[in-house]
Amino acid sequence: MIRFVLRRLLAAAVLLLIVLTLAFAVVALAPGDPMAPTDPRIPPEQAERLRALYGLDQPLPVQYVRWLGAVVLHWDWGQSYRTGQPVAELLFDALPPTLLLAGAALLAQYLLGIGLGLLAASRPNSRLDLGVRVASLVVYALPTFWVGLMAVLVVAVGLGLAPAGGMTAAAAFELGPLAAALDVLAHLWLPALVLGLSMAGDIARYTRSSLIEFQATEAGRAARARGLSETRILLVHGLAHAAPRLLQLASVSAPLLLSGAVVAEVVFAWPGLGTATLVAIQSGDIPVVLAATAYGAVLVIAASLAADLLLTRLDPRISVE
Amino acid sequence: MIPVVAMRLLAAAGLAAILGWGCASDTPRDTTRLTVGMRFEYPTPNELIGPPTLSYSAISNQFFLPLMAEQPDFRDGPPTWAPGLATDWEFSEDRLQLTVRLRQDARWSDGEPVTAEDVRFSWLAQTDPDIGWSYSFYKESITDVEVIDATTVRFHFDAAGPTALADVSTGLILPKHAWEPRPFAEWRGDPGWFFENLVTSGPFLLENRTPGQELVLGRNPDYFEDGLPRLERVVLRTASDGAALTNLLLAGEVDVATGLGATDAQRITNQPDLRLIAYPNRQFTFVSWNTQRPWFQDAETRRALAMAIDRQAMVDTIWHGYAEVGNSPIISSVWAHDAGLEPWPHDPRAARDALAAAGWTDGDGDGILERDGVPFRFELATFAGAPARWDAMQMIQANLRAIGIDAQPRRVEPGALIQRMRDKDFDAAASAFAIDTSLDLRYAFHSRSIPGGDNYAAYANPELDRLLDSFATRLDPSAGLEDLHRLQRILHDDQPILVLWEPLTLAAFNEELESVEPNALSPLANLEEWAWR
Repeated sequence: MIRFVLRRLLAAAVLLLIVLTLAFAVVALAPGDPMAPTDPRIPPEQAERLRALYGLDQPLPVQYVRWLGAVVLHWDWGQSYRTGQPVAELLFDALPPTLLLAGAALLAQYLLGIGLGLLAASRPNSRLDLGVRVASLVVYALPTFWVGLMAVLVVAVGLGLAPAGGMTAAAAFELGPLAAALDVLAHLWLPALVLGLSMAGDIARYTRSSLIEFQATEAGRAARARGLSETRILLVHGLAHAAPRLLQLASVSAPLLLSGAVVAEVVFAWPGLGTATLVAIQSGDIPVVLAATAYGAVLVIAASLAADLLLTRLDPRISVE
Repeated sequence: MIPVVAMRLLAAAGLAAILGWGCASDTPRDTTRLTVGMRFEYPTPNELIGPPTLSYSAISNQFFLPLMAEQPDFRDGPPTWAPGLATDWEFSEDRLQLTVRLRQDARWSDGEPVTAEDVRFSWLAQTDPDIGWSYSFYKESITDVEVIDATTVRFHFDAAGPTALADVSTGLILPKHAWEPRPFAEWRGDPGWFFENLVTSGPFLLENRTPGQELVLGRNPDYFEDGLPRLERVVLRTASDGAALTNLLLAGEVDVATGLGATDAQRITNQPDLRLIAYPNRQFTFVSWNTQRPWFQDAETRRALAMAIDRQAMVDTIWHGYAEVGNSPIISSVWAHDAGLEPWPHDPRAARDALAAAGWTDGDGDGILERDGVPFRFELATFAGAPARWDAMQMIQANLRAIGIDAQPRRVEPGALIQRMRDKDFDAAASAFAIDTSLDLRYAFHSRSIPGGDNYAAYANPELDRLLDSFATRLDPSAGLEDLHRLQRILHDDQPILVLWEPLTLAAFNEELESVEPNALSPLANLEEWAWR
């Protein structure tokens, strides 16, 4: 197991290096000057001064080696061109909200997806089953930004059942720990639901097909022959059968969740990695774009590795050696 | 059974608590506090290393003050100045020196007095190359800042000029005792340090900061103006997206939203508890015709283009009326604007006739005009990420296609397009300028600004050069009004650029707020006087 993990970590490091190099090359070779002053009254010498301050007056290979060296040796991603903040600090602030939102969305998508899958599998080919399947396809097809905008307009602005945006209420720093936690949860549930909804359809379809498939297996027939209730068969034995497949979906949904988080964060004014990345892209803030790309890659690789390791635990047929 | 029931009850109670917490409540408004939604984050209280934007300055001005403050009366005449940290000022006879006296009662929030040493320290920082302040060019004419005594300071200039007060007052006075320990060379490396070492002299203090989310300003009890600010606390919330900001406003989670888009404003107009304010912002958007390219070398052709393009339609459809058709780089909200100038009318027939007179005909019958074998086909570039301008480019394409001109819109990364425009490596391009009240337009239209500069159209006119040079050295700008009118007439007739529109800035406020007067200089102007009724 340790050798497997080490092998995967080594492969992940190589993959990350490739991602970083490609990202650097694409950004560096793109046309444009991030230091070009947009206010014409600012003299061009000012841009020269800033280029020198940020090391952009050096040849590209030198810039690359310096940048990569600083990242690897000191976890120094440079400074934001837009705000001057150290990028590591900026993303350190932005990462926890994104992890919280993505984690909650993952939970929402599995709870919803498994719940709907169970409902559909309990009455295969019934109207209920058809309804769940159609609903799954519809939510899968709906773009997150549209669902998000509608959710804010109807649930938050219209009905007042949730805050319209942000991660906390204004001046929430004054709240006690319990009130602060409730405040974050009140702001979290709607964006997490919206973000989780798109993948929930997929989970529902996988759950349904796995459970129906299980009912036809010898194990399923044996469980029924032992007189177990349908609920127990589906909930305990059926879900155990479906678990490895559903887990594999988690590693697939990690990149989708991250890309979806960019949209959901903007719509819900959620202060995470997605918002930071979008603002950086719009303002040509190259160091932040590069670091956010790397953070995204690390998250996807980590999710994939975690899913693989869990899979080996859940499915005895899979060996890592 | 009981534990299951208890667990269900607990879960239901938890859910109710979460939903209840997020629900809009009818609790009475806390009239000591205001929440403002803004579309950007405030990265550092040190303006010398912060972004050079109006929204950023608007917040910095709550912490620090300039010596004098420019007044928003530029519609009536050349800019005037009101005391800030300075009480009064006086030029020497040759106008090479300006003596400024500071308020005796101004204090930093840690109790230290604001002194002439702070003024000199600020100037040293503003002009330090290691810091690289974006607006250091304002200080180029200042050769020294001399401390006379604790509350008197003297500015020395290399030449007498009309912009001396603007040069002196641009930039805020920074706390020497708090920030001097940090060498200038390290300022850009750690903008967060200035939050940790923030002492203020303005109306507000920093109470709390949550990165990416909010900045909480508290009333500065030591502020020298009695009874101000009227609010105890102002929370500045961040929402990077205009629609998200509007949602926060509609849901009552922010009381004020600044920097709204025209589409967002449409959603606010029918809300009885909100007031929408649209005010001029000293910007104009224009198309530069590169006069070094064969299509745009003669004024007759450029005038025809002006008549072919329906700018009123752009204002109506893209801006939903929250803009005005422009016809001069000295925009209509500035005192020197020539109100006698009539925008070129949208008249495709006249445009077609003018083009024919200029030698443009469709000889080969392909629907595109030609002259001397050159088809009237060019690239019309604009910045990527500027949706209003991109929409305008599509409308220009359609307008020009109707008279036999093939304009091909293209989006280009802003930095790359600016460079191409400075290198004159473009056909036609849309961009925007913000003008300051000095009205020194040499950077945009003087022939000296053609090579590598911001005279994008590469327009050279000796009479215009003379007028620009003459106005820039006038000590009394109002005496140069005739020159400015003549200058505008030349640009109007020759059309090196076509001014498309002057946008209005949009902000929305809760109806119950009073004394809210945002202006072109700051969306948070006179924030210290804002209060709930």
